[in-house]
Order: sequence, then C-alpha cells, then structure tokens
Amino acid sequence: MMEWAWLIPVFSFAAAPAVVIFGRFLPGKGSWISIFAIAGGFLLFWLVLGSWMDAEAVGKCFTSENTHMLTCDYERSWFNAGVVGAVGSVSLNWGILIDPLTIAMLGLVTFVALMVQVYSLAYMKGDPRFGWYFAIHSLFAASMLTLVLADNFLLLYVAWELVGICSYLLIGFWHEKRSAREAAKKAFIVTRIGDVGLLIGILMIWRDVGSFSMLDAFEAARTGAMSEGVVTASAILLFLGAMGKSAQVPFHVWLPDAMEGPTPVSALIHAATMVVAGVYLVARTFPLFEAYDADPLMVVSIVGLVTALGAATVALVATDLKRILAYSTISHLGLMMLSLGAFGYTAAIFHMMAHGFSKALLFLGAGSVLHSTEFQETGEMGGLRKVMPLTAIVFSIGALSLGGIPVLAGFWSKDEILIAVNDHRNVTFIVLTLFTALLSALYMARAMFLVFFGQLKDQNSHVHDAPAAMAFPMVLLGILAFGFGLISFNWPGSYGGIGTFVFFEHSEKFHFEIWLGAVSIVLAIGAFVFAHRIYVDKSISLEGVRARYSRILKVIENKYYFDEVYQWVIDRVVFVFSRFIAFFDRAIVNDIIVNGPADVTRKLGIALRVHVTGNVYSYTLAMAAGSVGLGLFVWLRVV
Amino acid sequence: MVDLVWFQLLSAVLFVIGLYGVMARRSAVLIIMSIELMLNAVNINLIAAASHMEGIGKFSDFDGQLIAIFIITVAAAEVGLALAIILRMFRNKSTVNVDEINLMKW
Repeated sequence: MMEWAWLIPVFSFAAAPAVVIFGRFLPGKGSWISIFAIAGGFLLFWLVLGSWMDAEAVGKCFTSENTHMLTCDYERSWFNAGVVGAVGSVSLNWGILIDPLTIAMLGLVTFVALMVQVYSLAYMKGDPRFGWYFAIHSLFAASMLTLVLADNFLLLYVAWELVGICSYLLIGFWHEKRSAREAAKKAFIVTRIGDVGLLIGILMIWRDVGSFSMLDAFEAARTGAMSEGVVTASAILLFLGAMGKSAQVPFHVWLPDAMEGPTPVSALIHAATMVVAGVYLVARTFPLFEAYDADPLMVVSIVGLVTALGAATVALVATDLKRILAYSTISHLGLMMLSLGAFGYTAAIFHMMAHGFSKALLFLGAGSVLHSTEFQETGEMGGLRKVMPLTAIVFSIGALSLGGIPVLAGFWSKDEILIAVNDHRNVTFIVLTLFTALLSALYMARAMFLVFFGQLKDQNSHVHDAPAAMAFPMVLLGILAFGFGLISFNWPGSYGGIGTFVFFEHSEKFHFEIWLGAVSIVLAIGAFVFAHRIYVDKSISLEGVRARYSRILKVIENKYYFDEVYQWVIDRVVFVFSRFIAFFDRAIVNDIIVNGPADVTRKLGIALRVHVTGNVYSYTLAMAAGSVGLGLFVWLRVV
Repeated sequence: MVDLVWFQLLSAVLFVIGLYGVMARRSAVLIIMSIELMLNAVNINLIAAASHMEGIGKFSDFDGQLIAIFIITVAAAEVGLALAIILRMFRNKSTVNVDEINLMKW
C-alpha cells in the first residue's frame, strides 16, 4: 500500500477545484466533496501504517543509516533540464518518503483536518463564501500532506509555499475586515522572510550534493562528502525557514494576529498542523543538524527555550481567549524545538501530536464559545459551564492535557521533553523548562477558570451548547487528548512504546524519571490549585503583585514591544530605503533609460517627416532624379 | 534596315514625353496613360535592340522580345488595378485630381 500513499494528498488536491467549480450547483456547496476527500486520506493513512508495520527491509524499503528507522522511498523522474546524461544538465526526481515521522504526521494532519472540516460545517454555516472556505481547506490539507510525504527538498519547498498561501487565504478569509487583511499580509510576509533562508539552504545543499533528494543530502552529511561548514550553514538556514513557519522568536509576531481568521482555521492551521511544519522540517532534516558536532542543535534549543518562555509569559497576561491560545501555541512550538535541540526526537514528535490534538480541541472549544457568545474577551465570559457543559468538559480536558496534569496526553509528552532536556542540556535549561511548564499550567488554568467557572453573566444567559456537527469532532479530539498518552507505554507484545516507533538512531523503551515526573506533577497541580484560588475562589488577590511589578507587567502586556520595534524598522529604514529606490527607478530608469530613446526617435521623426508632401509630382520628380542619379553613378563607374 | 539609333531616339522621346506627362498632369487617368507611354517606350527599345543584335553571353537573341511580352502582361494587370483604384477614389472624393488626394502626408 505504501507506494500508493501519494494518493492521500491527491484526493484533496482534486477536491479543491471540484468544490470551486461545481460546488455552487451541489447541496451543501460541495463541502462534502472536501470532507470525503480528507476522509479517504485518513482511511489510506491506516492502510499505509498497516503496510509499514508489515514491511521488510527489501526493495524500496531499507533501514536508514541515519535514523535507523525502516524507511521507504518511492521516486520517479520529475523533469530533465538539458540533455539526459550530458554535463551540466539536471535530472530531478520526485517521490514520497515514508518513515515513522511521515506516518505520524499523516495521521495527525488527516485526522485533525477531518475533524475541523466536519466542525466547520456547523461553524461556517450561512457564510457567503462557504464553498470557497472548504476549497481552501482541501488545498491546505493537500499541500500539508505533500509537504510531509516529499522525499526531496524542491517538492517540500513547493508544498511549503502552498501551505503558506493557504494560510494567507484563510487568515484573510473575512477580508471585509481591515484587521483580517492586515493579519493575512503580515503572516505571509513574516514567514516569507524565513523562507528565503530555507531556499538558500536548499540551494546550498544542492550545490554540494548535486541532488535535491533528502536521502542523498543525509548520506553526504554522514559520509563527510559535505564539509562541516556547509552542513552547519545549511542546517541553520533551514532552521530559519522553520522559525518563520513555526513562529519562533523573532518571527513569532504573525501567529497571534493570525487569530483574525475563522476559529476552525486557527485550530487546524495555526495550532495543529501548519505551524508544526517547522518542527517537522527540523525533525526531517535532523541528520544535517546532528552531523559533526551538532552545533545547529544548540541554536535550535536556545531559540526554542526563549520562544517557549517568552510566549508563556505573554499568554499569562493576555485577555483575548484566542490570543491566549495563540501564545500558548507559540510556547509549545518552542518546547518542541527545544526538545529537538536537546536530541529529544521522539519527545518532540510525541509532543507535536499530543499538542496537536489538545490544541485543536481547545481552539474548537473556544470556537464553540465565540460562536455562541460572540465575545472574544475573557472578561465578558465566566461561568459558561452552566450553559454549555459539553464544551466546558472538552475544553477542560484540552487545558488539563496541555497544563500537564497526569494521565492526560500532554503530561506524558511534556515529561519526555523534560527527560531529553535533562539528559542533554545543562541545568539552566532544565530549570527554565520546568518554569515554562509551570507557566503553561498557569495560563491554561487561567483560561479555563476565567471562561467556564465563576459567575455566569446575564448577557450570556441565552448561550447554547455546540450543535452536533461541532460536538462530534470535539468529543473525538477530547478522547485523544485524554488518552493519547497510552501510546507511549510498553504494551505487552512487540510494541515498546512510541520510542520504538519514531526515534533517531536509538530506539528507546518507555522510561520515566521519577524525580522529574514528581516535580512536574507538583508544579502542574500546584498551578491549577493556585489559579483556582485566584480566579474562582478569589481567596488570593493579585493586586499587590500587579502593583509591585507593574513595569515588568507592562513590558509583557505589550508583548515585549516586538511589533513596535518592527513597525519602527519598517517606517524608518525600509520605507526610507524604498523611497530612495523608487526615486532612482522614476528618475534614472524610467525617465532616462526607457523614455530617453523613445524621445529621440519621436523628435527625429518630426524633423524628417517634412518630405512627405502628399503631392504626386514631387514623388515622381524624386524618382526621376533618383533614376538619373543612379544612371550617372553606374555610367561614371563604368567609364 | 533602319539604323538602331533611330529606334533608340524614338524610345527616348516617347519616354521623356511620358515622364513629363506623369509629372505635369493633374488627372490620375492621364498619369496612368503617361505611364503606359513610358512602358511602351521601353518596349520599343528592347525589341529594337533584340532584332538588331546577336545574343551576347548568357542572353539569347530573343530575350528582348520575351521581356517586352512580360512588360505588356504586367502593364495590363497594372492598368486594371490602377483603374480600380481610381474608380474607388472617384467614388469617395468625386474627383480624380491627384493634388486633392493628399491624405498620406504629415
């Protein structure tokens, strides 16, 4: 079945134009085409997983020298530039690469996309561009699936840009709103800055390896065909692209603004799937990061830690529900990067999935709240568990999971990250990571208590719970957010936990560091109890703390002034420079180089046109004189 | 046999008369007639030369007649075309005076 895995994105690629063209004539604006396409993809994912389980290391499948995972690569010729075999001509292949990392991503993307599309049926009901919404969703799913299946950098880059444009279209979906338009442009441009690094990195690898194939690049890095400098530089450049897509500091500014899009979009693209593309890229090209002294991984872990910590503090003071979740997403993406940077390959992928399910659930829950109350500010909510119990339960499961409360998915994955950081990085890292975990539990508790607990406001008394199409995906995701941690254990039989499924170089049985687990449990539960006392019992007042640290609080509430600094740079540097360039273009290029020759030609024409009199005899005279002159010339030559 | 130079003289006189006609006449029809005169002057020159001379080099001794017949054919076609143009001209401007037909100037 594995060689047919390329069909997974093809279903959705086909669905997108079908919905656009025929959607208006079909019931439900063709939304079911899109849903069936992604459901087909989800079904195929299981078949691919099953056939991977049965696969042997023969033929197209082999045990990778780099990751030591069973990897299958199916490629065929894409196009040839120049004559095949001649010097200087390029032959490109494209194909799909299937290893546990790909399979994990396929499962995450197809499942969350399916859930979100079903949810959108109810959430987007009555929207004038209902069909268009599903078409872009299909295109996004197809691009994202291509991205995770791609076995070469060029195809990956194409898919990378495609998910970028889908993100742009979906953030700006309600483009009647100025803020949505601005946010869409911001997201696109900021991620583009990182993408430039990605492209340069890919071309650098191509120059040294002579191929866009990832496996060739890893092989070259492993055998030393690529020098240390090139490997390190290209890894850092690839990471630049990953930073843009995964909203790492300092490229994180686009993600909170991306909340202008419809909430299901935030759930799918800006929480569970597209933003983890950066994490996926680092994991996919891990052999490049890890080659030689693994210097790039130090950069990855520092960027990840700064992002995780910074975003967690902002999430703690944000008041807009979706923005709390957005900063929480940034923080958790930072944790995944930190984990990768600390050689925690398994932990990062595990957390990516656990976070994907939990955060998608939280966003869908938030969507249900916004849909019903039409408020986004947490200050307008409170006590909603009385009117929307189901949403309250599933949202709480998501919040507890991400907060790291034991037996929920997020607890196990966060624990793996803590172990990885503890094993491979120094004590500063583990202390700060634990602090981030504490903050993570605090802001999750805060969001949960502010929205669903306390007094119900009168303005919200009419609020109703989610309709079936919205409840069903939330419940399924809730089950996963609750029980997904089960896959990390050693079950009786051949399965030895997620560490034996997706790993880098060494497969690891499930293990649990007692003291780390104890500390993180104490921190998480303590945070929830503390938050309960503040926001529900109101037995602890924060006013004193607020007053004492008002300055620090102001900096955090202004998101560390990233947006202001960028605005200043754009106004004072970029615009001034572009004004100069514009002047150069108009004065030199346009007026002199382009219009100059045209002017000369025109003036010459005016001067020369006087001979065209329109009188027949003057032409005849000229002809006769010319003939005589020609005759004279020939005669004189002859004589 | 009449000397070749007389034929050439006749040809030259006819040609110059035709040229004068083209330059001095105002009526398009008369200009066409003058052009015909010039063509016939050339024909006389060619036929006379052909009948008075042996072929030289790659020219055979009846090439002159041959070219003359070509010229007559082309002239017939040209007259047909020119008269059609003049007819259209007259339909549009109610005149065949070439001085008044000066649209194609700056």
